[in-house]
Amino acid sequence: MSTDLNSGKTIKPIRPLLKIEEGDGFYSLLFSGDWTIRHPKGDRLSEFDSFAGQLSDKNTFRFQLSDDFTWDTSFLLFIQNIEQKISTHGAGVDFSSLPEGLANLLEKNKSNESLEHGRVEALSGAEDSVFEQILLNFLRVAEFWGKWMIFLWGLIRGKSFARGRDFLVACRDCGASALPIVTLISYLTGLTMAFVGSVQLEKFNATIYTADLVCLAMVREMGPLMVAIVMAGRTGASFAAEIGSMKLNEEVDSLRTLGIPAIDFLVLPRTLALFLMTPLLTLYADIVGIMGGLTVGTQVMGFSALHYFEQTQSALLSMWEIYSGLWKSLAFGLIVGLVGCYKGINSGNSSISLGKSVTSSVVVSITLIVIADALFELAYSYLGLR
Amino acid sequence: MSAPDPSEPVIEVSDLCLSYGSSTILKNVTFSVEQGQCLAVMGGSGCGKSTLLRSMVGLLRPRSGQITVHGSALWDGCHEPDWGILRNLGVLFQSGALWSSMNLLENVSLPLETFSGLSAPEIKELAMYKIGLVGLRGAESLYPSQLSGGMKKRAGIARALALDPKVLFFDEPSAGLDPVNSRKLDELILDLKQNLGLTFVVVSHEIESIFAIADNGIFLDANSRSILANGHPQTLRENSPVSEVRNFFARSLTD
Repeated sequence: MSTDLNSGKTIKPIRPLLKIEEGDGFYSLLFSGDWTIRHPKGDRLSEFDSFAGQLSDKNTFRFQLSDDFTWDTSFLLFIQNIEQKISTHGAGVDFSSLPEGLANLLEKNKSNESLEHGRVEALSGAEDSVFEQILLNFLRVAEFWGKWMIFLWGLIRGKSFARGRDFLVACRDCGASALPIVTLISYLTGLTMAFVGSVQLEKFNATIYTADLVCLAMVREMGPLMVAIVMAGRTGASFAAEIGSMKLNEEVDSLRTLGIPAIDFLVLPRTLALFLMTPLLTLYADIVGIMGGLTVGTQVMGFSALHYFEQTQSALLSMWEIYSGLWKSLAFGLIVGLVGCYKGINSGNSSISLGKSVTSSVVVSITLIVIADALFELAYSYLGLR
Repeated sequence: MSAPDPSEPVIEVSDLCLSYGSSTILKNVTFSVEQGQCLAVMGGSGCGKSTLLRSMVGLLRPRSGQITVHGSALWDGCHEPDWGILRNLGVLFQSGALWSSMNLLENVSLPLETFSGLSAPEIKELAMYKIGLVGLRGAESLYPSQLSGGMKKRAGIARALALDPKVLFFDEPSAGLDPVNSRKLDELILDLKQNLGLTFVVVSHEIESIFAIADNGIFLDANSRSILANGHPQTLRENSPVSEVRNFFARSLTD
């Protein structure tokens, strides 16, 4: 008697086929076709399962492989699965006719031990509790901030490893190179505010006050904020990525073994460059933003440029309006520089943690910028400076 | 720096215990390195060889124990190592760890610019000499990303030699190198040892390279987390009472 598990189907040599033939006191499993990962074997397994379910006598199973039979490790697992099913029914399996390599691999897979439990635990490391993690993070921030202050004091006294060259390169990268994007963003901001403002002010027949609106909003708020956000996304992220990958590549370690502290050599020039460049960029953004407003004022609303400028000038009651925004941007520059470098220095030893550091440097910077902005406005209004 | 007494060991490590957080990597490690010797730190993967090196070059504070260089303690109980001592130690990291924003000449010059009192032309001359010493003359203006693996290691050695240190630490110098380049690197180490009288601490598990360069060796064990054996590699291979050590040298699996 022979049981064809594939009855009713067209036989192609490439398909994995399993025929079971009953001999004298044994079953022959005839494998043919392509028993590799190209074909799923779930059907064959369930078919064999239903066949094995009808087994009543305890027989031995033998393997027969046809000439066109090909196999890979997926066949190995198939054999392992059917052996398990056979042995649950109390029958035996004779592996002798399998290819030698396959039989060896089957044997090895059974004897492969997993790593000792303690070893895996030691490698995965002890998980800190949430409280410990928060404390650790807090201590890291405090350590970074403290060291930064100490090295800054060292720089002021002329004892520092920071190089003027690095400072200038950082100034160029975060200052001059940022001009195109800052120009575009602040011009469009000024333009948009002028449009929004003019529609509202038209109701009161006071469209000329668009100049006041654009000017005050730019110098007080939008200029510093827009520049800070561009800096966070552009420069802060690049600080985090640069220092983080230096850490990944043992470059920070090689500085340290020379006795050059990374915070002194890498962080100080970058943070100071950003500290200096952000207010300058903000001043530039203020001017470009007002130009954006001017474009709308002259081209859309039909004022003369002189009229618009006079109105702008009258809106600026004192230079404090501009200074107040620049003070903010000093703080924003410091925030972006410190957060970017902190995230780089504290990034872990894998490319995943580097990516996370860069992302979180942008997120944390922007959050802190918005919080700082609110605090500044609160302080200004309580101190009667608005 | 005063001339060291040749009979005194250059480095003495006593009762060192190293850990990352709560997991102990090594404990009760005691050994010394003599002047002009090359000490090989051997052992299977994950036994703490590189961790030991990190602690000896000031990157990992030991939990307890002391490392002394020419009689003065590297870790003086405080958080930071003694920077003055560290400047007498040169380190070659596994990947070379050259500063990627600087070219080869700037990499070698930076330690000199920072710590020597030399003028700019003198610094350049000295840096060019060190680059020539490791066989990279002509590559001064290349950036690390333009160098091959073997060249990066050589460049790393040139930078480690910049301040004329008395001791050089090598972390797996032959890892990732083809046999010929690995042999060339061994020759370079022997050259430097002979001509400059440098002391070497080399972390390695390349048996051939160990036999070529090492005068002395310590064998670390992952299970006991301590030194299993020490002595000349030849002696260890032939006469070590410990089967793990003999197996290591014979590449054998038997217990």
